Amino acid sequence: MEHFSKEFTIQRNDIGNAGTVSSLTKRELKKRGLSRDFVKTVTIGVYEAEINVVIHSYGGTALLEITDDYVQITFTDTGPGIESIENAMTAGFSTASSYAIENGFGAGMGLPNIKAVSNEMDLSSSKSGTILRIRFNICSDCYES
Amino acid sequence: MKVKDILQSSNFHLISNQSGLEKDTKGIFSSDLLSHVMGFAGENNILITVLNNINVLGVASLLDFSCVIFPHNVKVNETIINKANELEITLISTHLSTAQAVLNLYELGVED
Repeated sequence: MEHFSKEFTIQRNDIGNAGTVSSLTKRELKKRGLSRDFVKTVTIGVYEAEINVVIHSYGGTALLEITDDYVQITFTDTGPGIESIENAMTAGFSTASSYAIENGFGAGMGLPNIKAVSNEMDLSSSKSGTILRIRFNICSDCYES
Repeated sequence: MKVKDILQSSNFHLISNQSGLEKDTKGIFSSDLLSHVMGFAGENNILITVLNNINVLGVASLLDFSCVIFPHNVKVNETIINKANELEITLISTHLSTAQAVLNLYELGVED
């Protein structure tokens, strides 16, 4: 079984480079012949999560793994953590800074969007950091026909 | 309908280069919140937004939009135009409001 993995560094407030992880994920999935719909679904989830690390955290990493069965991406940041995961998971709830809002983010839709598009999502958080793992299952219908 | 057909109307002005003009358009999406755009917009959509920052290009590229239209003569800086040219994303400016632009695009024949 082929196992692709790549780690990225995400800098705090580096909005200009936000999208790097999702762009590369998109390219890797297209290379494997996965369908446009599947690629779009994964891209949405990865982009939202990437933006979260950029606008909410002190910075962190993203680990992209692709096997024959799934695409998994794990975002690990160094804080300050999510005060209430329940609130963060509520559509429309946002703690985004005015800087993030001026750049078109902070609608409070990030985590709800990720949950809606992924097959698995684990989120744990403390003051020293947040870990978000999202997984998209690859099935035979996920390929371009 | 192709991106170049939008430019038949004197209300719309090309501000990027010509590399994306042959792209097909399908439907219009308008929002200034990128998470809404990510959640609801579709491939080949024409995006109308007053957001004039680099992230609009990131989203346009990830979701394969046909072009981005800036209403109300929103200013778009050189850095964004250069990046759009690199990504082959067509940028169009109009003095129209978002609502007027949507109406005008449907009159021109944009399909849903």
